[in-house]
Amino acid sequence: MVKSVEESDVRELQALQMYLNEYTQQGEVLARQLELLMRQRMEASAAIEALKELKSVEEPIVLFPLGGGTTVRAHILDPERVLVNIGADVIVQRTNGQATEYLEDRIRELEALEKKVGESLQNIRAQVNEIARRIETGYEKARGG
Amino acid sequence: MDNIPMKVQNQIAMLQQLQQQLQTVLNQKAQYELAVREARKAQEELKDVPEDAEIFVNVGTIMVKQPKNRVSSSLNEKIESLEIRIKSLEKQEKAMQARFEQLSAQVKEALEARKPPEAA
Repeated sequence: MVKSVEESDVRELQALQMYLNEYTQQGEVLARQLELLMRQRMEASAAIEALKELKSVEEPIVLFPLGGGTTVRAHILDPERVLVNIGADVIVQRTNGQATEYLEDRIRELEALEKKVGESLQNIRAQVNEIARRIETGYEKARGG
Repeated sequence: MDNIPMKVQNQIAMLQQLQQQLQTVLNQKAQYELAVREARKAQEELKDVPEDAEIFVNVGTIMVKQPKNRVSSSLNEKIESLEIRIKSLEKQEKAMQARFEQLSAQVKEALEARKPPEAA
């Protein structure tokens, strides 16, 4: 630290640095949350597409992945009977249409959440930029003084 | 930090420790709140499901078929138990916050008292 900086300025810079770290960490958490929400939404969209496709095909035969890049042919016995995970470790049987509706609702919820988290992330990023600017000004002042 | 009395240094260390503990409590509370929300949502979804519908519950690595009323009552139990834990964590949080405020006031007072008097 530059010697000519007043003790109070040093303390202020230290406090600002602390806030910067805190806000940066919060920003990272929110960015991760946003990514997770987007991934869940895309997964739900893909599931809707699969459900619709299974319904439209006369004799649905799919490739069932076994891992390691291997798959086996599998015949879907009843594409109308779909098991949906409704959370809290509970899975219920729904019709194809009901499962699609459930997923569409879920997508709407996820979109609303994404919007909220996205706004919070923007606010945090604005705060981070403002604090970084104040720290920069503080150091400039110290160098000049 | 060298010229700060040992007592105040200890108080600062306790403050940091308290802050970490508080953060742990808050994280745990947030997790339980999330679980309660999820269980309540599942309970709501269950209402629309016919009585004879197939319902499965995740047990370890397998899914076990269970009747609707049993799933519903275990969800209620889960919600109740989580709510009790949340209340207990809220009590801990309040106590910790009060202790934190008390300690930080003491530290602030001690540090203020050490400041050289400002020139008039």
